Amino acid sequence: MAKVLMKGNEAVAEAAVRGGCRFFAGYPITPQSEIPEYLSGRLPEVGGVFVQGESEVASINMVYGAASSGVRAMTGSSGLGISLKAEGMSYLAGSHLPAVIVSVTRGGPGLGSIQPAQQDYLQVTKALGHGGFKYIVEAPHTVQEAVDLVYDAFELAERDRNPVFVVYDGCLGSVMEEVELPPMKELPERPDWAVGNFTDAPRARRMVSSIPGEVMLEKQNIASEKMYQRWAEEDARWEEFVVDDAEYVCFAYGMSARVCKYAINELRKEGIKLGLIRPITLYPFPKKALDNLDYNRVKAIIDVEMAIPCQMEDDIALQVMGRAPILKYAHSGGVTLKNEETTAAIRALIGGLNK
Amino acid sequence: MKNAIIFTGSGGQGVMSMGIMLAQSAVESGRHAVYLPSYGAEQRGGSAKCIVIIDKDEIVSPMAGSGGVLVAMNNMGYEKFINELEPGGVLLYDSTLLTMPIERDDITKIGIPADALALEVGSSKVANVIIIGALIALTGIVTQEEFQHSLDKKFASKSDAVRAMNAEALKRGMAAASQSK
Repeated sequence: MAKVLMKGNEAVAEAAVRGGCRFFAGYPITPQSEIPEYLSGRLPEVGGVFVQGESEVASINMVYGAASSGVRAMTGSSGLGISLKAEGMSYLAGSHLPAVIVSVTRGGPGLGSIQPAQQDYLQVTKALGHGGFKYIVEAPHTVQEAVDLVYDAFELAERDRNPVFVVYDGCLGSVMEEVELPPMKELPERPDWAVGNFTDAPRARRMVSSIPGEVMLEKQNIASEKMYQRWAEEDARWEEFVVDDAEYVCFAYGMSARVCKYAINELRKEGIKLGLIRPITLYPFPKKALDNLDYNRVKAIIDVEMAIPCQMEDDIALQVMGRAPILKYAHSGGVTLKNEETTAAIRALIGGLNK
Repeated sequence: MKNAIIFTGSGGQGVMSMGIMLAQSAVESGRHAVYLPSYGAEQRGGSAKCIVIIDKDEIVSPMAGSGGVLVAMNNMGYEKFINELEPGGVLLYDSTLLTMPIERDDITKIGIPADALALEVGSSKVANVIIIGALIALTGIVTQEEFQHSLDKKFASKSDAVRAMNAEALKRGMAAASQSK
């Protein structure tokens, strides 16, 4: 299929439809508003339902309802809207429902800025809501990768009966680049646990609930812990970009990783052996990628983020365990990383190390 | 990034449309392109900026901090973004609306009275197409036919008169740039 030039958010919305999304409820917020805008026209074309909720809270709870009935449901927002959805996201996890949630991130905290940033790593990996639940969190770095991840996200969510989170910064949401769209997926049968699925009646009434009673709740939490352990073993994904001979390893996700790739290409011309580890899943964190590095060769890890303070630093440090210094380079608040400036900054960081 | 083109001006001047149409014509003619917009909360009157990078190879990162060409559609675009033009680069500007003195002497400056020419063609709305015409004539980054194809697509649902006005603006821009050489 031919490649087309497409805006990140619109490509994600189309990929969701092709991946089986038939319900979206959301509330406008920069820089994700193109997702609901696009789906408001597109979902009715495929027999789906689009609702602009009266708020983020209403929208996530509509997704909760739609997911309960076995429909592939999705919502989107940005960090501050995700904060409002926290209660509903916890209920989705507590009720063991599949759904896809997209966050297109901007500067924070507070109302922050509408410009791109990556200041929600801690929110999406550690603090989606109360109760200690987890989602698989995917972080694409190109429009094509965003399309591919969202396309398969519903099946991943259904595999575990647990929502999947996709996070990318506003740059990726607004950039237009070439993308190849996958074909429309066949919709699966409605799952047998779905509320209102009486096709094989008579059967016991179904209930989807996040208040199962304390003994059952503990059992469910033990099962969830096993699931999180399985994710850590099987679902952590990352890209290694010229790491084999690297003496310095950038650690970055999303658009920051692309800026690092630019810097690596430039600095390698100068003989600096720089590489990149790029988490594709922020949760589960790609521990092995960092743990398996040969620290006789690797002289430093460089955490590059559009977040100040850097938010991945502690997770990186837990794996590096003092075997190499962790340097940092960052912008935040809507001031984005730039190719040339980042190249110079990494050159200077490495220069400082070798003084 | 030498191969980055930075388009600047105010919301409503078609700054973003210029970038999108240029990127589209590059992709359709077999090259790689990215388009990255940035703007404030305002829709009209606030500053508008977008970056287009066109290359024969895949574009690693769109996050260019500077470019080899800066297009300034008015004083605001010039004042706010002139520092993003690399030394030795080209400033292509609308000389009807950019009236400030241009201070830098390490760049090539090409002024085209785009707004005035656009009014001659029929509407100041096509000033952006005049400038694209000049950009194409100066850089050869895409051909006239390739860009005309993007214009045709963009205005497919509009009247013949609108399409003719845009085609004429593209030609006028190209001619104006040839004269300025």
